[in-house]
Amino acid sequence: MFLTRSEYDRGVNTFSPEGRLFQVEYAIEAIKLGSTAVGIQTSEGVVLAVEKRVTSPLLVSSSIEKIMEIDTHLGCAMSGLTADSRTMIDHARVEAQNHHFTYNEKIKVESVTQAVCDLALRFGESAHGEESIMSRPFGVALLIAGVDEKGPQLYHADPSGTFMQYDAKAIGSGSEGAQTELQEEYDKSISLVNAETLSLKVLKQVMEEKLNNTNVQLASITPEHGFRIYSEEELQVVIDRL
Amino acid sequence: MNPVDFYNETLTSVPTEHGFYPYESNGGTALAIAGEDFCVVASDTRQSNGYLINARYAPKAFKMSEKAVLANSVFAADGNALVRRLTQRIQWYKHSHEKEISITALAQLVSNTLYYKRFFPFYTQVLLGGIDESGAGVVYSFDPVGSYGLEVCRANGTASALIQPFLDNQVEFKNVQFDDKPRMTLDRAICIAKDAFTSATERDIYTGDHLEIFIIKQDGITIESYPLKKD
Repeated sequence: MFLTRSEYDRGVNTFSPEGRLFQVEYAIEAIKLGSTAVGIQTSEGVVLAVEKRVTSPLLVSSSIEKIMEIDTHLGCAMSGLTADSRTMIDHARVEAQNHHFTYNEKIKVESVTQAVCDLALRFGESAHGEESIMSRPFGVALLIAGVDEKGPQLYHADPSGTFMQYDAKAIGSGSEGAQTELQEEYDKSISLVNAETLSLKVLKQVMEEKLNNTNVQLASITPEHGFRIYSEEELQVVIDRL
Repeated sequence: MNPVDFYNETLTSVPTEHGFYPYESNGGTALAIAGEDFCVVASDTRQSNGYLINARYAPKAFKMSEKAVLANSVFAADGNALVRRLTQRIQWYKHSHEKEISITALAQLVSNTLYYKRFFPFYTQVLLGGIDESGAGVVYSFDPVGSYGLEVCRANGTASALIQPFLDNQVEFKNVQFDDKPRMTLDRAICIAKDAFTSATERDIYTGDHLEIFIIKQDGITIESYPLKKD
């Protein structure tokens, strides 16, 4: 793909004669440089797990945040240029709060995903009046997980603004291997506990460092407890099951 | 300013009186009764202006969804504007969330819509009746600026003072001494609504012409029409 580079990857909103938006495609490439994140949907809830690249022993690993809360019933894991996710998550949080204010009910997982994706193509020069907020596409992919009246759900949103629902999905540098592993191991009837284990098992296989309770982050969203990030102790319990 | 000009211009001039009367009362009455698995919303269709009748068939109750009916009284123009605005919001909700709005969500939306005009309110009293997510009948009543509450039965409009005590007694059995209070059936609720309106029509000049009763059940909404006295 880099061989076909031409002047069409200059303008962020210009199609190439083959009908491609290079900058958007490059943004999707940027995610493949990010750390791996995994999401698994079960009937009891959704599990999110991410790899944290602790690049130095002096780095405080708890300062790396790659799983964030959107609302009490919604969480999000990310891979890529994680700084870009701030804008998206801020937007998602505002959207969730607005929905609750207006309708006195929790926003659906799909609706909040749609809201985030509405941002994705607002880069470059904007048309009549609509404020563009970014000069380039987002360089981050999100796994948005939550529980609503349709039950636990997992969505994947990428820089092109496309979103799709998954039973299990991996993003980031190790996503290819991780996705294959998920495909083999995933079963519709998987329990939440087994999904916790599977998510870390998959991460362990694709991580360069040895997995421990400081270089991964694990969260779950369940109808009972909503969004919850696991403490290091809880994480250790899951790791011991591997 | 010299004293002569001051006298001429200030002390002898009378302030011009400005009037701005954007509101009107068009009369009319609505009531709603919640049952275990149904809800009845009834309203007359007369629209008046003082001693004049604008229209004998100007409905005040509207189907907002498959599970909710909204009735409003007092100022018809504001009531209709509110219904149009809500209808649009309900359609937007349906498009963006791919589901029909629940009555609890609709109640909050009505409240916000009214409160957004806190300093130039819709001059209307709103009743919202329907079925909630659990299938139970519910009635919400609103004041013109969006305060709302969940009720069992409620009357509003020009004959509300005549009908509300009757509902309190016959639906909620307030101040009734006997113990075996019967549960509200759909037939009884319709009977009470009809009686309330025929009686109110006798005494309230703003209530009359036709009675429209919306019956909201899990399987849909039906409308029954009855004549009221036209005098």
